[in-house]
Amino acid sequence: MKEYNIAKEDEIGVGERIVTEIEGREIAVFNVDGEYVAYLNWCFHQAGPCCEGKVTGTTEATWDSENLTQTLTYTREDEILNCPWHGWEYDIQTGECISRSGVSLPSYPVRIEEGNIILSL
Amino acid sequence: MSQEVASPDVVGDELTIDSDVHLQIRHEDLVPYLDEPWRSRMKDSHTGQQPNDGWDRTVNGKFLMDFDSVQTAEDLKHSLCNDLGVDYPIINTLGLMSRNPENDWSVALMKAHNDFLIDNFLDVYDNFLGLATITTQQPDKAAEEIDRMASEEDIVGIYIHNTGPNPPLGDSFYDSMWEAAEDNDLNVAFHGSADGFMFEFPRQNQSLNQFIEVHTLAHPWSQMLTMISLIVEGTVEKFPDLRWAFLEAGLSWVPYMLFRLNKEYSMRRSEAPLLEKMPEEYFREKMYVASQPLEEPMAQTDLAKLIDVVGTDNILFATDYPHWDFDNPETLNQHLQRMFDPEDLTKVMTQNAIEMFDLTI
Repeated sequence: MKEYNIAKEDEIGVGERIVTEIEGREIAVFNVDGEYVAYLNWCFHQAGPCCEGKVTGTTEATWDSENLTQTLTYTREDEILNCPWHGWEYDIQTGECISRSGVSLPSYPVRIEEGNIILSL
Repeated sequence: MSQEVASPDVVGDELTIDSDVHLQIRHEDLVPYLDEPWRSRMKDSHTGQQPNDGWDRTVNGKFLMDFDSVQTAEDLKHSLCNDLGVDYPIINTLGLMSRNPENDWSVALMKAHNDFLIDNFLDVYDNFLGLATITTQQPDKAAEEIDRMASEEDIVGIYIHNTGPNPPLGDSFYDSMWEAAEDNDLNVAFHGSADGFMFEFPRQNQSLNQFIEVHTLAHPWSQMLTMISLIVEGTVEKFPDLRWAFLEAGLSWVPYMLFRLNKEYSMRRSEAPLLEKMPEEYFREKMYVASQPLEEPMAQTDLAKLIDVVGTDNILFATDYPHWDFDNPETLNQHLQRMFDPEDLTKVMTQNAIEMFDLTI
């Protein structure tokens, strides 16, 4: 396993990302509320650049079977990564796909060392 | 799709012909191609080419609906040919005017779309081929445009937006249009849309709650309506030299439609008296269906079965670039490489389009 110095900590603010190339792979590092996560920029669906898409919330619904009412909520603001090609939604903290169980973005360990963001590959 | 992205592995050695590539013409770019009074209308009114259907394609802004990648021939070459590995794009303008209520405006738009396509795309690169958009409200005007387009060497077929034409396209109302297409050796590609859904299926457009419902139904319903009309009304017999392609509804609707029609035909043959063969035979001999948007069964083996049933003699490769449900060429290519013989791959990626559009490449 090799380690790569991606950037200084203050170069990726909260909510920001950088996409970089390491050993021929496009990898994105996100700052999610001060925690860093890294994913391969490759959507499980059709190999789209999923890490370049918008980070948004999403719509969820609950069903009250006693009162026969559905309640919509816009939730998880800034937690959903959307592939710009076809809109596949991923949980930005875990890399898990929202619509298909068992599908996740390949991820890489990231740690901070002396103010530097270090990615292990 | 204009953002710089990682290039996927381009399709290997296979010559790739893409049967469904769209432009997204800006209104201001169409102005010089319109005569008055249409020029002033396009320039000064706020309605654009057609009324908006009100549905949100972006899923509340999640999709980036950016069409910069198809605004110039150079952009399209870069994004589709260089990055995605398409050798020959067969370009249509996404002309939707066949669903418009105003006949003369629709005819003016049709001509403008075709002139724009030729000037700005087909004349620029040798590997760019195009389909002439034909609007259907006045079949004689459509026939005139087919005659006009026939002398253009890079126009390899005609493109009909088939969500909205009334009556359905097998009606004898259109015979002069089909006659012109046949006389000029220009085969016909149909392309549905959610955009025409409010005209073709108004009650459903009003009553469905979400765009996902409209979009999922609009394309196959339009193709089913057109296919059944062409076959049952005998258009396929009246104009025997024409070939027909169905774009952007995927594959699965075809076996369902044909097998059901086969059954009905044997029970009610006298209602389709021009036919001399089973409905399915007309498909096998005269029709093609574009791969995109390739369906996504849970099991890959089911996709292989589906391709097998539709038949690799009748499938055209297509991306639908640059739309939000486009297919990356690698998706179908890899699947065919894994699960089919090399000759099947060649038919789908190359040979069927050469036959459908009578290409010399």
